[in-house]
Amino acid sequence: MELRLTDLRDGESGIITSIKIGHRGVHGEHRRAGRRWGFRKRLEDMGLTPGTRVTVVKSAPFRGPLEVHVRGSRLAIGKRMAERIFVEVKR
Amino acid sequence: MTKSKFIVVLAGNANVGKSVIFNHLTGLHQHIGNWPGKTVEKAEGTLHFRGHTIDIIDLPGIYSLSTFSIEELVSREYIAVETPDLVINVVDASVLERNLFFTLQLMELETPMVVALNQVDMAKKKGIEINYKKLEKTLGVPVIPTVATRGTGVYELLQKSVETIEKGGKKPHQMKYGDEIEKRIEGLSEIVKKVHYPYPARWTAIKLLEKDEQVEREIREIDPEILSAAEKSAREIEDIHGHSCSTVITSERYEIAGCIVREVQHIAPPIKPPMRERLHALTTHKILGYPIMAIALLSIFSSIFAFGDYTSGLLGDLLYGLEPIFESIFGAEIAGKLIWGGVMEGIIAGVTIALPYIIPFYLILYFLEDSGYLSRIAFLLDNVMHKIGLHGKAFIPVMLSLGCNVPGCLGCRIMETERERLLTAFVVTLVPCAATTVIVLGLVGTFVGVQWALALYIIDLLIIFFLGRLAFKALPGEPTALIMEMHDYRVPHLQTVLKQTWFRLMEFVKMAFPLIIVGSLLIKLAEVMGLLNPIASVLSPMTVTWLGLPAVTGIALIFGVLRKELTLIMLATLLGTADFAHIPNFDFGPVQMIVFTLVTMLYIPCIATIAALVREFGWKKALFITVFEIVFAILVGGIAFRLLMLAQ
Repeated sequence: MELRLTDLRDGESGIITSIKIGHRGVHGEHRRAGRRWGFRKRLEDMGLTPGTRVTVVKSAPFRGPLEVHVRGSRLAIGKRMAERIFVEVKR
Repeated sequence: MTKSKFIVVLAGNANVGKSVIFNHLTGLHQHIGNWPGKTVEKAEGTLHFRGHTIDIIDLPGIYSLSTFSIEELVSREYIAVETPDLVINVVDASVLERNLFFTLQLMELETPMVVALNQVDMAKKKGIEINYKKLEKTLGVPVIPTVATRGTGVYELLQKSVETIEKGGKKPHQMKYGDEIEKRIEGLSEIVKKVHYPYPARWTAIKLLEKDEQVEREIREIDPEILSAAEKSAREIEDIHGHSCSTVITSERYEIAGCIVREVQHIAPPIKPPMRERLHALTTHKILGYPIMAIALLSIFSSIFAFGDYTSGLLGDLLYGLEPIFESIFGAEIAGKLIWGGVMEGIIAGVTIALPYIIPFYLILYFLEDSGYLSRIAFLLDNVMHKIGLHGKAFIPVMLSLGCNVPGCLGCRIMETERERLLTAFVVTLVPCAATTVIVLGLVGTFVGVQWALALYIIDLLIIFFLGRLAFKALPGEPTALIMEMHDYRVPHLQTVLKQTWFRLMEFVKMAFPLIIVGSLLIKLAEVMGLLNPIASVLSPMTVTWLGLPAVTGIALIFGVLRKELTLIMLATLLGTADFAHIPNFDFGPVQMIVFTLVTMLYIPCIATIAALVREFGWKKALFITVFEIVFAILVGGIAFRLLMLAQ
């Protein structure tokens, strides 16, 4: 099933399906979403591209960032951004 | 060989040991400044090798060549426009896939390249073996395994680099994307080739498909037809893949990197989790992480402040001891007063701030950053800092500012985007530093009551919170969010840390001292010429009418620009007593003390802080922050005065 990255349990992993931060340039929705385009690109540049396996190690308390493993590296991703990353999980 | 002066740039991800290699190569022949007009640091150095003079430029650590940060823009512009003779791509062997993603992008810029496969020892500890010969063959560029912290392989790297340049610098060959993309890249680059654009045609074509904002803008000016062709191709790719074209290209690039890694890398993970893994788990633990951090930070900061305070006092005493000598040489007349009060007082202010606080600050900042603990702190505190529109990394400069705003401002460079840096600097200048604390406790705490001193701190905190949010809303640009790599813990390279500290200290001294000296000279000049009282009366509508303070406080506030604690010292001099509870001739009661202290807390970053702001952000932004804070402090002070009078 498809879940938000933030919905994964500690230690669980899934395959990224999409990142829903302003799809700049995809048919129609142009300027409004363009502002957040940079962050989507940034996430992808750090290796979080669709089809990639990502493992949630843990999250910092009080809605803090998530620690994830992706492509052999360890990243911290802010909660609000992690909520926009959708993953396919087998449960 | 026609030219014997080469330019070599170092490029790579953050924390891969680039600066360690830079230090090995350049030794003490380096210069650290900013890229023209940017807040991005530029480190340059020179070395001589086999009769060649080689200029080495250390580009900022980045993960991609898009337009996310100014660092990325600066880097790609430099490589494409200045056309260095060679790019040394420093790669972290233990995170090969993500590093190769960047390597592939560098190759697209078509500059001759050598890869330094760094930290092979760390990789080995993680059970990662890399067949570098095979990697060399796949990439088509020389690959040299190195362990920069021990200097292993650095000589070979240099040798290979010079050899590559001498051979005429072969362009790296290009990795191929999927057929449906490759066809469109080729089609587009054919059109791009016909116009004059500084970047390689193939690179431009790829960036157009990725919808790179800067490239789109520049190409639109040259020939809008190219842009519509690119948009058409991008849409076709989007229809095939169902993702935006930039996502597709990024994925493909990672796909290529992944393929290479599977070819050249062999992993046999160690059975027992190594020490640094356990350390990571402990320091980022949901509960234990916080007390550990509190202990670590408290001991670090208290030792900085203790050291700073002690050394600052010692240096101050030492330098003030020179006063009689100066007086005997230059006399106590105008010339003597100007030289002592203007020039020497300025130097003393600079020395007592710069040396005792900035040196340990830089040392510790680099230790925290290099070891990897800084990113763990950011991880733990991210959500607290979000409350004022910043993210976790901003905690360090803000915390430092409690001691002194100067290192706080200089520390803003650990933030990633220009906007984040500016926001952090703004918040930092509002944080009460040690000198402000002296005033709060010495005036309000002693003569009004500790609860009022505490109230002032709470008010300041609320103001920081409020203004931080406001600035966050008002400043245009990307929202602040944390995407950060937490690299493995490691022992920092002492020599690099020391050199980084030294060169940055020099940079600060060069920048700040003239400003501090000119500032103190001006104030002393005003004093000697008897301008202080006229100035005080000019300021009196502000000080007396609006703030309800005695007119002489205007003078004290002016002196506070040099060093904030001078406001209190000057106030005592001007009022004729340090016993502020019994001042017969002036109306300076508890209300005035509170208002005066509140204004002092907020009104201006002291001149050394202004210098640090200028150094990091340029004159315009430094002046804006300064003027804003003066106006704001007066506004708040006046309101506080009226409220307090009402309450009485």
